[in-house]
Amino acid sequence: MKQVWSVIRREYVERVKTRAFILSTLGMPLLMIGIMAVFGLVAFLSEQSERQIVLVDQSGQLGERVRQALDEAGYDVELAAPGTAAEELDQQVLDDELEAYILLDDATASEAVFHYRAKEPPGSVRSQLIRSAIVEEVVDMRLGQIEDGESVRRLFEGGSLEYEPVGLDEAEAEEAEAERISGMITGIAGGLILYIMMLAYGAQTLQSVLEEKQSRVVELVISSLRPWQLMLGKIVGVGAVGLTQVAIWIGCVALLAGLALPGLISAAPDLEELGQVRQYLPGPGAILLLLVFFLLGYFLYSSLFAAVGAMCKNLQEAGQAQTPLIIVIIVPFMMQMMTFQGNNMPWMNWVALFPFFSPIMMYPRAVMGDVPAWMVALSIVLMAVTVWGAAWVAGRIYKVGILSQGNRPNLRELLRWIREA
Amino acid sequence: MTQNGTAVRLTGVCKTFGAHTAVDDLDLAIEPGTIYGLLGPNGSGKTTTIRMMMGILLPDGGSVELFGGAPDFGRRSRVGYLPEERGVYEKMKVLDQLVFFGEIRGLARSLARARAEKWLERLGLTEWASKKVQTLSKGMQQKVQFISTVLHDPELLILDEPFSGLDPINQDVLEEIVLEEKERGKTILFSTHLMEQAERLCERVCLISRARKVLDDDLKELKRRERTGVVAVEFDGEAPRIAWPEVLEVEQVGDAFHLSLDDGVRPEEILGAVLAEGVSLRRFELLEPRLHEIFVRHAGDPGDDDSVQPAGGAS
Repeated sequence: MKQVWSVIRREYVERVKTRAFILSTLGMPLLMIGIMAVFGLVAFLSEQSERQIVLVDQSGQLGERVRQALDEAGYDVELAAPGTAAEELDQQVLDDELEAYILLDDATASEAVFHYRAKEPPGSVRSQLIRSAIVEEVVDMRLGQIEDGESVRRLFEGGSLEYEPVGLDEAEAEEAEAERISGMITGIAGGLILYIMMLAYGAQTLQSVLEEKQSRVVELVISSLRPWQLMLGKIVGVGAVGLTQVAIWIGCVALLAGLALPGLISAAPDLEELGQVRQYLPGPGAILLLLVFFLLGYFLYSSLFAAVGAMCKNLQEAGQAQTPLIIVIIVPFMMQMMTFQGNNMPWMNWVALFPFFSPIMMYPRAVMGDVPAWMVALSIVLMAVTVWGAAWVAGRIYKVGILSQGNRPNLRELLRWIREA
Repeated sequence: MTQNGTAVRLTGVCKTFGAHTAVDDLDLAIEPGTIYGLLGPNGSGKTTTIRMMMGILLPDGGSVELFGGAPDFGRRSRVGYLPEERGVYEKMKVLDQLVFFGEIRGLARSLARARAEKWLERLGLTEWASKKVQTLSKGMQQKVQFISTVLHDPELLILDEPFSGLDPINQDVLEEIVLEEKERGKTILFSTHLMEQAERLCERVCLISRARKVLDDDLKELKRRERTGVVAVEFDGEAPRIAWPEVLEVEQVGDAFHLSLDDGVRPEEILGAVLAEGVSLRRFELLEPRLHEIFVRHAGDPGDDDSVQPAGGAS
C-alpha cells in the first residue's frame, strides 16, 4: 500500500504545481465576480451617457409633475415651451441636434401611454426608468382626482401576505427565514460545485489514465502495483486536487465573511446591512454533507472515466467514448436547474434517488429541506453501493484496457473483458 | 546475490495478433548469473517475447515462467525492465521521476533519491536532475529510463534494445554497466538486432527470425561448432607456394591468406606443413565466424527480414 501512496502523491503534486490548477483555482471566483461586474457596469454606463431629455406636454396638466419626477430620477429635463410643434423637434432629431424627446398627450393623462421619439429605441435601463417615473405620476394624478384614492393605490400595489408564525416569536421566525435563504444559496452553489467537479476532475482522471497508457509508462508501473491499486491511487490523487480547490474556495468565502466583512463594516458603518450576508452562509453540517456527496459522486464518475480512458487509444477516441458519461452528468444538472427555478415536482425527489443523479439532485434538496432525512440517507446508501459496483466493473475494464493496444472494444468485447479480467 | 533455478523459462510459447504470428512455439531458458542475448531482425518477435515475460501480454499457448512461477505481480517486481518504446512521464522532472519509480518499487524515498543522484552522476546527467524530462534529448531520456530500470537493484534485468538510440560513448558506458551487473551476480537478458554488441557481451544467444527460434546456444560453443575450417596465415617475407592436398581453396585477403581446409583436416597438420616450408610465420589463426555470418547462414540476412528463408529449414 506504500506504493499506492506514492502514486497518490505523484498525481497530486504534479497537478497542483501546474499553471492550469492555479489559474482555475483563482480564476473561477474572479470570473464570477468579473461577469457580474461587467453586466452591471455596461447597463449603468450606457444610461449614464445620455441623460438629457426634452419634454413636450400636449396634455396641459402633466408637464411640470413629470419634469420633477424625471429630474429626481437623475435626468436633465428641459420642458419645451407650450405650443412647441412636434415637427420642429422631429427635425432636430433628424439633424442629430437632439437624441430623443418625450411627447405627453391626452392619452398619457388617461392611460399613461406616452411617446418616445428618437431614431433608435431606448435602452432597457432608460425605458424602465422613464416609464416608471411617468406611470407613477399619472397614477398619482388620477387617484388624486377620486375619492378614496389612497386605498385604491394600495390595492394596485398588490396587497400583501402577512405571514404570522404560530408558536414562533419574531426572532425565531427571522431565523427560519434566514435558514431558508441559506439553504437556497448553499443548494445552488453546492450543486454547481458538484457538477463542475465531477465533470472537470472526472475528465482529468481519464486524461491521466490515457497518458500513462499512450506513453506505455503503465507497463512499467504495473510491475510494482496491481492495476486496481494504480487506478485507486490515480482517482484519489486527482480527487485530492479537486478537494483542495473546493477547500480553497470555501476557505476564501469563510475568510471574507469572518474577517474582511467585519473589518469593512467597522470601517464604513454605512455598509452594515452587508453583515446580514453572514447568516446566509452554510453551516458545518451542510459543508460536511457536501463532502460526502462529493466523495461518493466523484468516486462513482471518476472510476468510470478511468475505465473509459483505459479502453481508448487516444484523446479523440476518448472524446467520443465519454459522451454517455457526460450526458449522465448533464441531465441531472438540467433537472436541478428547473428545480431552482421553482418547478419542483414531487416525482423529481424520487428521480434524485437514482445514484448517478444523486450528487447533483439530492444535495441541494437536502440542504434546502425539500426532502425528508430518510431519503437523503437512502440516497447515500444507494450511492455507496453503486460506487462499489462501478469500481468493480471499472477496475476490470481498466486492468485489461491499459495493456491492450487494439481498437476500442465494442459492448460484447467489453463484457468479455469484465468477465475474464 | 545467490539465485537458484532458472530465471526465465519459456516452453512452447505462441502468440498471434489476428492473422500475424508474432511468436511461434518458442522454448528458451535463461540461467541465473548470465548475460543472454535475444537476437533477431526487426519484427522477428523479440519485443513480443519480452512483453510476455513481463506479463504485459499473455501467450496464446505454452507457458512463461519467471523465477519458477507465473510472471505475476510479486515476481515482476524483482525484474528491472527497460521497454523498447520508452515510457516516461514527460512533464515530470528527472529526479522526481526516478524517485517515484524507486518508491513504487519499494525503496524508501531517501534511498531512492540517493541512488538516483548517484546514477545521474555516473551517466553525466546531474545538471539535468531538475529539468523536465521532455526537455531532454532522446538519448538522455533513454539513460534516465535505464536508471529507473536498475534503481531498485533487481536480480534480473530485461532490456529491450537498450543500445539503440545511444551514441558510441554511451553505448560503451552501458556495456560497462551491464558487465558490472553481471559481475555482481545479476542475470541480464537483452534483445538487439546489433550482432556485434551481442558478440561482445553475451554468454548465450538465442537467434529468432520470423517468429521462430533459429539457434539457442552458448556463444563460445556455437562459434566452435560453426567454425568453417578456414585458417588465416600471414608470413614475414615471401610467401611459400601453397599447394597441399588438404587445402581446397586459397584466398588472399590483404597480406593474409585464407585457407579453406578439407573436411576432417586438423589445423595442426597445416601448421606442420607450413613450418616445414621453412618460412617465418607472423600469424596463424583459426578463423571464427562472426555472429552475423552464423545468423545469415541459418536464417538469411538479418538486416532484411523479407529475404529470410523459412526458418524451419535451418538446423
